[in-house]
Amino acid sequence: MKPRILIVDDSLTVRMDLGEAFDAAGFTNTLCSTLSAARRVLSAGSFDLIILDVLLPDGDGIEFLREIRTTPSTAGAPVMLLSSEGEVRDRVRGLNTGADDYVGKPYDKSYVVARARELLRKKDPPSESLKSKTVLVIDDSPTFREELKSVLESSGYSVVTAGTGEDGLRAAVDSRPAVIVVDGVLPGIDGSTVIRRIRADAVLRSTPCILLTASEERSGELRALEAGADAYVRKEEDTQIILARVTAVLRSAGAPSTVASTASLLGPKRILTVDDSLTYLHEVAAQLREEGYDVVPAHSGEEALELLSVQTVDCILLDLVMPGLSGQETCRRIKGSVAWRDIPLIMHTALEEQGAMIEGINAGADDYIAKSSDSEVLCARVRAQLRRKQFEDENRNIREQLLQKELEVSVAHSARELAEARAAFVEELERKNSELEAFSYSVSHDLRAPLRSIDGFSQLLLQDNADKLDPKSQDYLRRVCESAQRMGALIDDLLSLARVGRADLRRESVDLSSIARAVFGELQKKEPDRQMTLCVADNLMGDADKGLMRVVFDNLLGNAWKFTAKIHQPRIEVGAERQEGGTVFFVRDNGAGFDMSYAESLFRPFQRLHNESEFAGTGIGLATVHRVIDRHCGRIWASSAVDQGATFYFTIPPARPGGHE
Amino acid sequence: MIRNRVILLVEDNPNDVELTLRAFEKSNVNREIVVALDGEQAIQYLFSTGPHAGRDPRRMPEVVLLDMKLPKIDGLGVLRRIRADERTRRLPVVILTSSKEEKDVMSSYDLGANSFVRKPVDFADFVDAAKHLGIYWLTVNEPPSSGQ
Repeated sequence: MKPRILIVDDSLTVRMDLGEAFDAAGFTNTLCSTLSAARRVLSAGSFDLIILDVLLPDGDGIEFLREIRTTPSTAGAPVMLLSSEGEVRDRVRGLNTGADDYVGKPYDKSYVVARARELLRKKDPPSESLKSKTVLVIDDSPTFREELKSVLESSGYSVVTAGTGEDGLRAAVDSRPAVIVVDGVLPGIDGSTVIRRIRADAVLRSTPCILLTASEERSGELRALEAGADAYVRKEEDTQIILARVTAVLRSAGAPSTVASTASLLGPKRILTVDDSLTYLHEVAAQLREEGYDVVPAHSGEEALELLSVQTVDCILLDLVMPGLSGQETCRRIKGSVAWRDIPLIMHTALEEQGAMIEGINAGADDYIAKSSDSEVLCARVRAQLRRKQFEDENRNIREQLLQKELEVSVAHSARELAEARAAFVEELERKNSELEAFSYSVSHDLRAPLRSIDGFSQLLLQDNADKLDPKSQDYLRRVCESAQRMGALIDDLLSLARVGRADLRRESVDLSSIARAVFGELQKKEPDRQMTLCVADNLMGDADKGLMRVVFDNLLGNAWKFTAKIHQPRIEVGAERQEGGTVFFVRDNGAGFDMSYAESLFRPFQRLHNESEFAGTGIGLATVHRVIDRHCGRIWASSAVDQGATFYFTIPPARPGGHE
Repeated sequence: MIRNRVILLVEDNPNDVELTLRAFEKSNVNREIVVALDGEQAIQYLFSTGPHAGRDPRRMPEVVLLDMKLPKIDGLGVLRRIRADERTRRLPVVILTSSKEEKDVMSSYDLGANSFVRKPVDFADFVDAAKHLGIYWLTVNEPPSSGQ
């Protein structure tokens, strides 16, 4: 469907001129000479783009723009202001009111069409598949264009045509064709030049080009290839051959790659000229407009900065000597701004100001040009700066892409290294674990067997041959038995410590009160004669491994039981108290206690604070308890004094959901 | 299965054999105790092969006391053979071993052991255990009937 455009301008010439241009470019036009007519048309239908004059007989275009922006049905429509009020403050006012673009009069009609296309593309980017099948045909013969067009279209291509090289380049920017077919001989710039320009444009340079030529000489082919054509077809050949070439070129080119983020060099450009001389300003503006640029004249550095804050430009032409903000200072401000510093800036200066000019360059200008230079030199300098800027943009893009790729590669690399290190670590851990398991197993079986023999035969001697042994020998044998049994207990405790570190942690809601009571019951069964007061708080619940909690109470209650053996009224208390950060469980006795200066070593394996004759023990129990609490991510500590009893505190923080222990 | 009034002790350590015999003696378990010194001998005895070819295979021991770590065929291997054979699959088997590793206890029961007893280091405790074993397996327990 053709894009619909509304043109509002009171000048009949402008309406006719733009109407024709947009018609030829494939738009559907509606032309209005007054705001009231435009208002009627807008309320009756919708438009893809509105071009609006600022000065109209029945009102102010910018006021009308405000109306458009505040009416829901038109608020989103792109609007291009077109005005002879080319002054900076008009532009600022228009753009601040919500215009998408502002083009000064006198305008270049192909510039206006190109801008219009850009605005539409921003609004509605063409789909990849459509774009990739477009063929641009540039030929000055309408008959040939139509003939080739119908052949290509019958093969499923969509075709854009142009009659001159200049139009062709603009069409290339607009339609981003998959292939360009260009005649070698054209009225303006010739086919080779078109291809050369295409090759110099970062966005279009990879587009395959086919050059058509009437010449039968080899030199024609050479010239075509020199210019960068991908293929070469003699114009006398059948159009079917051209079609075959197009297909072949597309096949070998694959998907065209376009750097979409970089603006095309051949696209419409806006240039800001800053000069305090009105005459000179108009002169330069006229020269540049002839080249098809939109020119924004600014009379001072202040005005230039004001404009830059509302509208971006592609190049700045800056007079060095101006009243108010000097060219040098303006340049310094522009180059000091992150948003503007990449805009090419050319210092414009009279020859006698060379010393000042050097200062201008020092202030950051990209180039300089003498005011006496003719317009061709000026335009060439501007073109060169625009091209430089585009290459820089492209290089930056490429650099960023490379950096990004490098980053991705290094991230992937370190992720792999990490995974490998982890795998190696896990493997090592598993190996160590299985070694440890084999070791424990061997200790459990093989170390105990000889102890049984030592103890067993010693006891048999004591029982069966007591009459043949003097009391001293009997005492020695008893010591052998005791040592063997003690070593048996040590082995059992060590195995338990190892098992506690290795066992899988299965957390559930565990009733610690009932575990404490069960352990106490067993202690009492072993020594039924001991009088003991036990106080266990009800409903002590912990999110813990039941088996390991049994180990904790076996040891803590076992210790409390043991160290209260010499107390007159022994008492053990099991409970919990709320402290900052959660529940703290405790086991308290009124037994022998210990000196707090040794509290540090309490939980280390084989550390004992009492000698064997006072209280028996292996010194592994508390180390085991410590490991169990550790595995629950909890804390354990003790408080005591000699002969004042001891209290052991521990915490069991709730398991983190999904966390591993 | 005919009640044989025999205990089969499968144990490779001669010291343990001696201590076990003395422990049963001291706990007044008066049964003939046949000793097999490795897994293979135990199987030959139970299935009347090799040196035990002449034995009446229907006469099974009242209980088998089986160590786990054994030469040739280990305790669990012997247990597997016992449970796999029609003639012996109901035979009471008590694992009598040094270990109380959970892994050992689990796999013993998984393979069909009737009981798991850990040999204590203290001989007095061992005599106690032997007494309990004797009372339970030879008096309290009713073995599977012989006429299958």
